[in-house]
Amino acid sequence: MFEVARYEGERRAMLALTIVVAAAFYGTMFVAIAPSFTDLDLASLFAELPKQLTEGLGIESMNTLSGILSVELYQVGWLLVLGIYLAYNAASMIAGEIESGRIDSLLAAPVSRTRLAGEEFLSLLLPILAINAVTPIVLFVAASFLDETLDPVNLVVLHALAVPYLLCCAAVGFVFSVFLTDESHARIAAVGTLVVTYLLETVFIGTDYEVLGTIAPMNYIDPTAILVDGSYDFAGGAILLVAAAVLVLAGLVRFGRMDIG
Amino acid sequence: MAAITTEGLTKHYGDVRANEELSFEVREGEVFGYLGPNGAGKSTTIRTLMGFQSPTSGSATVLGHDVTDRKAMIEAKRHLGYVPAEMGFDEDVTGNRFLRYQASLKGDSRSEELLELFDPPMDREIGEYSTGNKRKLAIVLAFMHDPDLVIMDKPTSGLDPLMQERFYEFIRDEQARGKTFFFSSHILSEVQKICDRVGVIRNGHLVELEDVETLLDRGGKRVSVRVADPVDREAFAIEGAHDVSVAGDERSPQPTTADGGESGDGARTASDRPSSADEPSGNGNSSSGGRDGTSVSFTFTGDYNDLLSHLVAYDILDLDIADAPLEDVFMRFYGEVDPDTESAAGGTAEAESSPEESADV
Repeated sequence: MFEVARYEGERRAMLALTIVVAAAFYGTMFVAIAPSFTDLDLASLFAELPKQLTEGLGIESMNTLSGILSVELYQVGWLLVLGIYLAYNAASMIAGEIESGRIDSLLAAPVSRTRLAGEEFLSLLLPILAINAVTPIVLFVAASFLDETLDPVNLVVLHALAVPYLLCCAAVGFVFSVFLTDESHARIAAVGTLVVTYLLETVFIGTDYEVLGTIAPMNYIDPTAILVDGSYDFAGGAILLVAAAVLVLAGLVRFGRMDIG
Repeated sequence: MAAITTEGLTKHYGDVRANEELSFEVREGEVFGYLGPNGAGKSTTIRTLMGFQSPTSGSATVLGHDVTDRKAMIEAKRHLGYVPAEMGFDEDVTGNRFLRYQASLKGDSRSEELLELFDPPMDREIGEYSTGNKRKLAIVLAFMHDPDLVIMDKPTSGLDPLMQERFYEFIRDEQARGKTFFFSSHILSEVQKICDRVGVIRNGHLVELEDVETLLDRGGKRVSVRVADPVDREAFAIEGAHDVSVAGDERSPQPTTADGGESGDGARTASDRPSSADEPSGNGNSSSGGRDGTSVSFTFTGDYNDLLSHLVAYDILDLDIADAPLEDVFMRFYGEVDPDTESAAGGTAEAESSPEESADV
């Protein structure tokens, strides 16, 4: 059991290491520049800006380290860039293996298709868990060096809730990878879906169409609320986890039955 | 128990009829060749037998397990080896790492011995492998768990002649140990070397199921000869010569059938490119005439002694005798293709056949 996940995880080790290092540098940079923001009177500065920007991106709280990290590192880095990156990677999974013929040498082995695809998806847990385990430690250490305050509990909760969010993004890619079976189509569809839902979620804040944002994975995690206000949306995390499970399951069922030509 | 049975096995991809009502049986312990030109539907059958896809209708069993029963097929695959036509392996890992991975999935009782025999560069990343090395690795992977039945999709394409011979010898040894082989090929001589029985597939239909000898007697050779003096086509109307064409002489008649009219090396590669048989040969003759002499080419199925004693009479500048292209053989024995099925099979060719294999023969 888990031979596939182990092998695929090993192949993703380099990728995991790369994004962990990148995230650590990126995060530390914001910790370092935070002091120059703290004296600003942001409330008056942003008074004229539309609600979509202030609330959607949470920039009203940018005069604290937690605020800056929420907006710059988590809203953009985690929810958008990392989410899209994982979806893009997952979209290549099955579609890429079918397109290159790699799948044949696996299907010839006495292993069920469900196990093959399921474990391949699980291997994405390695980069997801690694980046969410290392980054909070790096940020906390950096903040204490610079005498900045960063609530460690909020930080841990944020990264814990980021795991179901990122899994959900990866599941979006995975399901396209099974249903479209063309690697480039699957990638475009996965990235497109996340970008469009992200826009729906931010653009319609405060309008009659705000409800449209509920289909966006980003709707169920709010870095600013967690990091700045210390309010945790565990139900949102559960919804993301269930959504991820449903998408992966749909992909597995379809993969188990389809013709692989 | 038969190692493989198919009963009315049919597979359509939309309008493309890749396999039609195939019924045959592969007996335990035999080497069964599955012969047909590119695009005939060989890979389609193999993919169905491997359980990669479900038949449109009909049924098939492999080692007694129904190919549409996924659970049963997992059990079957413990005793089944597979050499795919396209060897898509993970390019970023070494041969060793991939071998260990496969071993963890299906077991490994004899990879050491196989690596000695076929010897792909296991320490290098697979991405750096040549086609031949990938093929060697594929063979090691197919046999490492000592399967009872091995299904191979054009297993020798990409192997150099020496390695091909070693592979044939290996198959004969394995057969002596009781193994069964089912393998597709579009090369008659290969089938001749190792197969006990042959199924011939054309445009998705099984057109023949017989002993190799019977088929070979009918296969014939493609003879291309360049002689110093002008000759008539009639001069080569000897027994066993078909589709005689003469080039380098303005008065020469056109070839009688669509047999390409190649000369020299052209005939050698024709078996790899069945499309050449479809090209109009009318104006192709001018180039093959040569500066001096006359080129004559034909398919020969008669007695070789008769052929040689006939040739003695000429001043021969060049001579090439090779296996007749499979498509020519088929054309002669099974006639022209029905236009409907032809277009259907043309579509299949794209769908199922691997990229052009230039290293064959």
